[in-house]
Amino acid sequence: MEINCETIKHLAKLSDFDLDEKETEALTHDLQNIIKYISQLDELDTEGVEPTYQVFEMENVWRDDEVLRQDATREELLALTKEEKDHQIKVPRVL
Amino acid sequence: MKYIPTIGIECHVQLSTKTKLFSEVDNDARGKEPNSCVSPVDYALPGMLPRLNGEAIKFAIRAGKAMNCKINAHSRFDRKHYFYPDSPKGYQITQFYQPIIGAGHVELPSGTKIHIEHAHLEGDAGKLTHFDNYSLVDLNRVDTPLIEIVSMPDIHSAKDAHDYCKELWRLMCFAGVTNGDLYNGNMRFDVNTSIAPEGSDKLGTRTEVKNLNSFRSVERAVEYEIARQTKILEAGEKVVQQTLGWNDATGKTTAQRSKEEAKDYRYMPEPDLPPINLSKEFTEKEAAKLPPMPADYRKKFGNVISGDTLEVLLDYPALMKKLDEVCSEYVKSMSNLFASVLLAEEKSAEYLNDLPSAKDLNELCEMNEKKELSSTATKEVFLRLFDPQMKNRGAKNIAKELGLIQENDLGALEAIIDTVLQKPETKKAQEDYKNGEEKVIGFLVGQVMKESHGKANPSAVQEILRKKLK
Repeated sequence: MEINCETIKHLAKLSDFDLDEKETEALTHDLQNIIKYISQLDELDTEGVEPTYQVFEMENVWRDDEVLRQDATREELLALTKEEKDHQIKVPRVL
Repeated sequence: MKYIPTIGIECHVQLSTKTKLFSEVDNDARGKEPNSCVSPVDYALPGMLPRLNGEAIKFAIRAGKAMNCKINAHSRFDRKHYFYPDSPKGYQITQFYQPIIGAGHVELPSGTKIHIEHAHLEGDAGKLTHFDNYSLVDLNRVDTPLIEIVSMPDIHSAKDAHDYCKELWRLMCFAGVTNGDLYNGNMRFDVNTSIAPEGSDKLGTRTEVKNLNSFRSVERAVEYEIARQTKILEAGEKVVQQTLGWNDATGKTTAQRSKEEAKDYRYMPEPDLPPINLSKEFTEKEAAKLPPMPADYRKKFGNVISGDTLEVLLDYPALMKKLDEVCSEYVKSMSNLFASVLLAEEKSAEYLNDLPSAKDLNELCEMNEKKELSSTATKEVFLRLFDPQMKNRGAKNIAKELGLIQENDLGALEAIIDTVLQKPETKKAQEDYKNGEEKVIGFLVGQVMKESHGKANPSAVQEILRKKLK
């Protein structure tokens, strides 16, 4: 898998990150190394091996459908946001 | 050249569980303040983990069975990444690789079968309201459980697209998995349309119209897209694959901002939710709870109730359930009362929540059949059965109290008729009738009705009068 500056810029755009040229280059280099490291796994023959999605071997962890009181109130949660208006979270205009 | 349209529809259904899909918060935010049904999990605060609602699994099984779908024994969740203020997590938890509901089909009233590719569980996004230079975010809807139903590209007309969406709505309402409130977006449709020359084995380039919330807008959007694409192809140009929005006021589709491609969503298995492994027993037990579906009622009542009336009533699961409870001999007259009297009432929506007992309805139909109640009186008593002041008294008592029971007792009727025939003011009419003036029978019947204070059965009166005046 080829990682270049364009890959990083595309990923940054998807995640709404602002990166300058220097950061882009550094991240390209880092991600190239990470992918190379992980790619060692490709040497293994995994033919017929079930993919591992989780390591705890749990299944069907469900809860009952009952409303529970929450630890945090609406006001406390809204207070964590940068700006609020009319009990809503105010963000730059998006469309 | 003739073009054949091909349509595939994705439908999002909001499930009416008590709590959200991943948090123990009230899932019914109707009429509630913004951000009042929100937990730290919905806010995606660091360290918060999703907790799967078991009821949503059961709802999914019923929804799947309603569409004749295979329920997959093994399913799991994945993360679909995108960055937008309506999703604090930065991703949606959905089922991309192994959905809970497999292939099936929906049969339209016309008999056409539309195949279901699969359906999966996922969390909804929050609601954004846009203003001039800012947007507001309400997270009440975040992680409301949704089932996304993906059809095969099996639909070939705007009418079938409409009928498919309507039938899905009915199936989900009958299965009891949604409130089915279209006005409040409980069901939303994304419609993919393409056209190809007749006889071609390749599909044309498709466009996707997003977020339609009524059957009518689905039909209109498909009609519009077929016409638009036909014009493009006939001009020798190419249809551009794109996502469109629908404007109900102008009746046109317009291009939306280009969304990410599938690979840009960077799907990955959701590590915080263990897989769902359903035993055969568990699935069968839930499937058995599915009440009769529209297709079952069509089979059962198709020969009794007229097709038009049946299709009207099939929009109301409560009415069909009630019809199923009344005596089979009264189903036809009851269906007419439901369709032409109840649904014509201003308060019908309210009435539907609290229907009279089958016993009362049977009693009412019986009185009507025995001609104890005229058809007008039957309608009146029927409506009184919805009156909170009267309903508990029962159909028979209401009819008696209102003095609506017709006199059918032949002996009693004859006595009344004899009294009337003795009266000097009816002598001339009797003579006229005997001399062949048919019309005056109406006058005599009227006199008898008056004498009986309106309780005599007019057709019985007329019959007796004719015999007596021979």
